[in-house]
Amino acid sequence: MALEVGLAVLILLVFVAGLAWRGQDKRRLGVLVAIGLAVLLWMSFRVEPGAALFGGTFVQDELAIFSKRLFLLATILGVWASLSLRAPTFARRATEYYVAMLASLLGMLVLASARELILLFVAFELMSIPLYVISGFRKREEEGVEAALKFFLIGTVSSAFIVYGLSFVYGISNTTDLAGVAAALQDGHPLLILGMMLTLGGLGFKIAAFPFHMWVPDTYEAASTPFVAWLSVAPKAAGFVVMFRLYLEGVGAPVILWVPVAAGLAAITIIAGNLMAIPQQNVKRLLAYSGIAHIGYMLIGFAAVSASGVAMMLFYLVAYLFGNMGAFFVVEAVAQSDGSEAISAYRGLAQRSPVLALCMLLFLLSLGGIPFVAGFWAKILVFQAAAEQGLYWLVLVGAILTVVALFYYLLVAKRMYIDAPERTQPVPVSPFLALSIFVCVAGVVGVGVYPKPLVMAALRAASGLF
Amino acid sequence: MKGFPTLSVITWAPFVGAVLIMFLARHRPLLVRWIALVSTAVSLALSIWIYATYEREAAGFQFYEELSLVPPLGINYQLGVDGMSLLMVLLTSIVIFAGVFASWTVKERSQEFYALLLLLVTGVFGVFVSLDLFVLFLFYEIAVLPMYLLIGIWGSSGEVRPQGIFGWALRRTGVGTKEYAAMKLTLYLLFGSAFILVGILALYVASGSSSFSFLEMEAVRFDPVVQSWVFLAFYVGFGILAGIWPLHTWSPDGHASAPTAVSMLHAGVLMKLGAYGFLRLGLGLLPDGAMQWVWLVGTIGCVNIVYGALSAMAQTDLKYVIAYSSVSHMGVVMLGLATLTETGLNGSVFQMFAHGIMTGLFFALVGLVYEKAHSRAIFSMGGFGQMMPGIATAFTVAGLSSLGLPATAGFVAEFMTFLGAWQSAYSWWLFPGVLGAFLTSVYVLRVAKQIFWGPKSADPHFQHLPDAQGPEWVALVVLVGVLVLFGVAPGIAIGPVDTATMPLLLRLGVLP
Repeated sequence: MALEVGLAVLILLVFVAGLAWRGQDKRRLGVLVAIGLAVLLWMSFRVEPGAALFGGTFVQDELAIFSKRLFLLATILGVWASLSLRAPTFARRATEYYVAMLASLLGMLVLASARELILLFVAFELMSIPLYVISGFRKREEEGVEAALKFFLIGTVSSAFIVYGLSFVYGISNTTDLAGVAAALQDGHPLLILGMMLTLGGLGFKIAAFPFHMWVPDTYEAASTPFVAWLSVAPKAAGFVVMFRLYLEGVGAPVILWVPVAAGLAAITIIAGNLMAIPQQNVKRLLAYSGIAHIGYMLIGFAAVSASGVAMMLFYLVAYLFGNMGAFFVVEAVAQSDGSEAISAYRGLAQRSPVLALCMLLFLLSLGGIPFVAGFWAKILVFQAAAEQGLYWLVLVGAILTVVALFYYLLVAKRMYIDAPERTQPVPVSPFLALSIFVCVAGVVGVGVYPKPLVMAALRAASGLF
Repeated sequence: MKGFPTLSVITWAPFVGAVLIMFLARHRPLLVRWIALVSTAVSLALSIWIYATYEREAAGFQFYEELSLVPPLGINYQLGVDGMSLLMVLLTSIVIFAGVFASWTVKERSQEFYALLLLLVTGVFGVFVSLDLFVLFLFYEIAVLPMYLLIGIWGSSGEVRPQGIFGWALRRTGVGTKEYAAMKLTLYLLFGSAFILVGILALYVASGSSSFSFLEMEAVRFDPVVQSWVFLAFYVGFGILAGIWPLHTWSPDGHASAPTAVSMLHAGVLMKLGAYGFLRLGLGLLPDGAMQWVWLVGTIGCVNIVYGALSAMAQTDLKYVIAYSSVSHMGVVMLGLATLTETGLNGSVFQMFAHGIMTGLFFALVGLVYEKAHSRAIFSMGGFGQMMPGIATAFTVAGLSSLGLPATAGFVAEFMTFLGAWQSAYSWWLFPGVLGAFLTSVYVLRVAKQIFWGPKSADPHFQHLPDAQGPEWVALVVLVGVLVLFGVAPGIAIGPVDTATMPLLLRLGVLP
């Protein structure tokens, strides 16, 4: 509980500090937030897995701790990069931005530990609602409002799906405790399966699997980039943790039920995400669609329904965190300098700012799955887990679509390295963004060169589920 | 030198060179070249050293190194060479050493050029020496990717047509440009690697052990059904890189658009990665699958030989002629593998070496001719033999090796391969093979006559052209020397190769 309490204290602190702050520019509050989160991250490495609290509804197991570190790391990066935002609205209302972000983070932390349906749902909503608020943060701009509304409507509908599904689950199993639900699954009552499938559909909206992905590109395009970087990673990771808890933990033999559904969902998400990314001209939309494809790759690990599958999904999430957030941060840097998020803005970036271009190249290669950057191991390990389950066709689909992914990543690389630049002056990068990008590069390369510790940690985190 | 990680040093020396170039040699083009030269010379010297000290009586994998990478998943950094990989390592180090000299005159962004080139070579060495399937795949990917930037940035745009099954997708990169060729090449090869990956994972699961080690998998007799489809996956995957028809179209486009050193390395060495991987993993691990499918491999090899040669005859661009001749010669390699006879396999491995050196020499020469005359159109040039006797002589030697004249390496390789084909279960394979050799002599001699030995062209651009100069001579002399040396004394190569092919054939059960 220490982390959650600590975070709640931090939220209050930020709130009060925001009220007490003199002056119009409240962006520097973010430093306080980042420091607070860093302390929490440090604490999370001191936390030992402990006994369940509140009659088994709140557990602090290896999986919970692993995912909490991931959420905290993503949020620190997101908050730190947000410090570079320069819009006046943002400066004036920074308190709201940070408090909403932290509230959502609190939801994620609780979610990672929740082993009971009601708590699970409450935490889920606590995570989701602030996200709607922040994506509509630029309320004077039409696209911002549209994107937020779209996100909100789809999000609430999916929440309704989840609750509706869970009501079936409760109706059959007569308990809200997840261990009880797992026990009820052994009989395989059709209504229970139906409930679980409905819930899976709802979760599909949250993690943005095809065909539940429509909100993603619009929301990503309209919302502020550092927030999008965070949005593309942390809430999705939380969605996956819920899936582990609901569908895999302690279920035993009936997990086989989910294999065809998960494998089908994974395959179609990978295919659709990658193909739809090809015609994109806006980098944020490109990353949005490629992000959908990555969700598909992670679902491969879910389809493997094994401890190694879950572990490799967690590994994938970390690799995706560094690669995807890093790429979004570079997008923000270029957008701040040139005012454009189009792919054509990257012309000749390698000659204008060689270091920034190299960072972007590393992120793209990591997302594409090339050796010596993190994404390579992530893809291969997920494939390996699926192969152990005998899903060779899925591996083949995934591997071939990787080629498509590299096609559009390389188109960006082509702009950066092969085309001649339109302007000559280098892209100025604010120190906040620079540090965030540096952390992401270090992560991508570090995990890529020496994956062993992370693999071990992921395997440990997943070991308790089966 | 017991305990000295020779293979690691060979593999990583170019990588260290690349890092040094990136960090130390900014705006110092001469230093860039010297670093590249020294790092490849280290690899070359050590390759020759391991070649000389390899114990032929003991055979098997030697210079073994191991380092645990991800123990719970059975991934180990495991290196070792046997007779076949020994020859391939030597080939790689010779070609890249010559390649450094051949691209001495790259002007634009030479720092990045050399860094990427050396990175690429690291990947190539890595594939040849790694014994862990996973590490092999990892190096394989490294060998493919830098190619995109190398061709995309330093390549030359020519007349490139949108062909092949990815034509629709590639239209966006601009048809007829180096970007198109680069993208096509990269996507084809990565497409192939998807099949390889599935195959490797399938073997890992089917072997039941928790290791990707080649040595452990070699001891497993896989289920025939698994063998059958994994063999096909490997054939498609590695075959794309080896340029099998009809998946070869990336290779002429890519080779023709690439800068000189990259063409040399790519046609000379990278296509051998495909053949080597197929031989090592396909034939080496899957004997039943091999027996079941060799008819396909050999027949497509025959198609490659004839189709490649006919296509080469029809070209008017000098680089395309050489590129299609590679397609044809790789057919000889695949045909030799499919014979499953001792002579055929030895001939095939020897052909990999001979063709690697020869085509490296060809592309170096084409690069030189282009640099002096700024033209690749065969029929506009003529009579260059008087102005550049050195280049003309080297081209003729390469051409004679290409058509298989005795006393050149090409002769030994083709003779052994065709002999193997005759001894194999499908002796008719001999005829397309010999037909291909005949067609080769037609297009090679025609080109040599037109450009170098025929009447002088009246075009004022082609008067007073200089011969090869300074560092360029090194590349030519080294490659011509090797070509003749191995033609006169093929035993140097056949000896170690035979120690590797014999156990392979024993496993295949075709030896009495």
